[in-house]
Order: sequence, then C-alpha cells, then structure tokens
Amino acid sequence: MRRLKDLGTRPAPNSVRELILRAVRGHAPTTQVERRPLAYWQERGWTLSGNRYTGSYQTPYGAFQGWIEEQRSGHAEFYLYNPSNEIRSHSHWTCFQQRGSDWYLVHMAKQPKDVSSGIMTIERLIREAYER
Amino acid sequence: MKKLSVVVAGTGQIRDVEIQSGTTAGDILHQLNLSDYLLSKGPNEPFFAAAESVYDKVQDGEKVFASTKAEVGITVCAA
Repeated sequence: MRRLKDLGTRPAPNSVRELILRAVRGHAPTTQVERRPLAYWQERGWTLSGNRYTGSYQTPYGAFQGWIEEQRSGHAEFYLYNPSNEIRSHSHWTCFQQRGSDWYLVHMAKQPKDVSSGIMTIERLIREAYER
Repeated sequence: MKKLSVVVAGTGQIRDVEIQSGTTAGDILHQLNLSDYLLSKGPNEPFFAAAESVYDKVQDGEKVFASTKAEVGITVCAA
C-alpha cells in the first residue's frame, strides 16, 4: 500500500530561490566607503557665501539662528538672533552686543582659530545657559 | 586598545588613532601635533582635561572633536 501521494512539483517562491542563490554565490566583495572630511560648520548645515556663514547654533535645547562674518585676517564675528531669556540670564550676557533688528554680536575674549571652533563655543554657552 | 577618529573641527580632517588604557587627552593632542586644541565628544559634552584619561570615556571607533580654544567674553565679564 502506498503511504504517500505524489502531488507533483511547483517552483519555489522567489524569496526562497534568492536565499539559495545567495548562499551558492557567496558574499559580494566588501565595498569600502570613504569618509568625507567635513568641517564642523558644514556638518552642522551652515552655508558659506562670500565671507559670510549662515546657519544655526544647534543644541539639545533648540537651534538658534546665526551668521558669522569672517574677515581676511581670519578674525570672525559671531552673531546670534533674538537670544532667549535663558541666554539673557547667563553670566556672559554682557558679552552680547545688540546690533539692531534683534541681532547680537557675541564678543569673544579669546578668539577661536576657526569658525567651527567658534560655533562649538557658542553652542556650548547656549547649552550652559539652559542647564544653569 | 580602542580606535578613535579625531575630527579637526576647522578642516574636517580625520585623524585615526589607536589608544591604550590610560591615554590622556593631552597625549592624543600632543601626538597629533594639535597643541592649541581641546578635545571633546562634541559641543554638548565638556572638554577633556589634558590630564584626563580618555580611554574609559569613549567607545571603540567613536568620533571625537578637536577644536581651538575660544571664550565668550569681554574684559569686564570674562569669567
């Protein structure tokens, strides 16, 4: 007496066939992805037009609109738009000089050597203002 | 040993280093010839002190930033 009944054959589903083919083919050669050197200001989405950078100082407490003017000498001036009450309560608030239309120049006692370091300094200051 | 990618903030240049237990921020900056820089895990993290061991505070393969010293302030308010 036959204990089984042959029901015929049918093609395996595509997903199963792909799995088997992949196992037979093996892994494709590894592709090494090059890292792109990006200055911090670029990484943070600032844009540069002429000698003027536009973007925002980014902190866990929000992004704060700013712009930076870099002079030929390398000296940079950092501006912040409409500082929040928390920033206005910071001990360094007197270092912010109003320049009209709610824009404030952030005065640096020690100038950073590059724009990126200046952005990081201001982001750090803003974070401090919110954590005090 | 841990691998670390030190990103020089101004240029985006990436310097790969391998550090041993006890390696300080000063050791790294000195070896990379970045003596006027400070090391941090980013603007939301404090700077490492020069004598501070970095090894225990970073993950293998982590990215850290080297940025130049700057301070917000004017003569009357610089803290």
